[in-house]
Amino acid sequence: MTARVTGRVTSRSSDASSDAAAKAAAFAAATTPLHEGLVRRLVLVLGNAADAEDIAQDTLLRGLLAWHQFDGENVHGWLYTIALRLAFNHLRRRRRWLAILRGAKRTEWVDHVDPDLWSSIQRLDARVRAALLLNVLDGYTQREIGTMLGVPEGTVSSWLTRARSQLRSDLTTQ
Amino acid sequence: MTDNDVKTRLGAMEARAPGPREVPNETAAPKARRKLFGSVALAPMLVLAVAATAAAGVAGVAGIFAVTSHEGAENSGQPLAGAQLECMTPPQAESYLAARGYTNVVWQVETGSLAEGVDKSTDQSSAPDHGFVVPGFFFNDGKLFMLVDQRDGTTGVGNCTGFSVP
Repeated sequence: MTARVTGRVTSRSSDASSDAAAKAAAFAAATTPLHEGLVRRLVLVLGNAADAEDIAQDTLLRGLLAWHQFDGENVHGWLYTIALRLAFNHLRRRRRWLAILRGAKRTEWVDHVDPDLWSSIQRLDARVRAALLLNVLDGYTQREIGTMLGVPEGTVSSWLTRARSQLRSDLTTQ
Repeated sequence: MTDNDVKTRLGAMEARAPGPREVPNETAAPKARRKLFGSVALAPMLVLAVAATAAAGVAGVAGIFAVTSHEGAENSGQPLAGAQLECMTPPQAESYLAARGYTNVVWQVETGSLAEGVDKSTDQSSAPDHGFVVPGFFFNDGKLFMLVDQRDGTTGVGNCTGFSVP
């Protein structure tokens, strides 16, 4: 009896361990190719390379924990949704923290190759900037972006119109 | 400037942006750097306190940089958890706090311009009449610090609700 129970427990433990390993392997296979692009995207959204790496790490950790909830359809969209929401939360907290530190400025990444475009997109609100990048670079529709960022489609439409208008204005006058 | 131009330039810019400096390990704990900066993302407020001490009879002064962590006043488990002061005007927040006995409050008002990165802080003992309220923290002596953002270009978007993460 004891041997059977022990055997069963061992077997279950072994199954659980291999399940976890399989889950981690599947997650790594799906997300590792996206990691580099995710960090670069977060640099554009956050304007800070160190923060971008931290948020990307948090994203992977959260993603691994929530991997069982992923519907298997669009890992890019799923991962970017987690990352951008973490990034926006981070920006909210960073604003408070920077204000408290009074004037302490964090080193920010600046694109010296195309400073006009960099300056223009940095003037956009972070969510507007993220929406623009999701639309222009990744081809997500306004509805998809609304779902990802948790805002109505009409809001995304307004953001994109405003962003394009600002870019057009900034880049044609410079 | 066409949409294609924008796409090309944005794509090139993203490609130039710094990528990860190490191979990701999704099961690893966050890096040690987070203990200082990253922990901010998890909510504790940091205050850099600079203290100068001098031993009696010694002419030299030794500077000591101490980093002290302060939980955000609205964090879970903190006295103002769930108060949602960020959804109030400064006078409303002041009344809310006063009604709960928080009368020893420092209101740190941020002025300047978000776009130009100009930021000036002014402390005052009463709440200003406008601006976006940002919950602060309790200092060591129990004094509550509250922030009010009045910078040009500040929208307050998202300050009130936050975002849920899947």
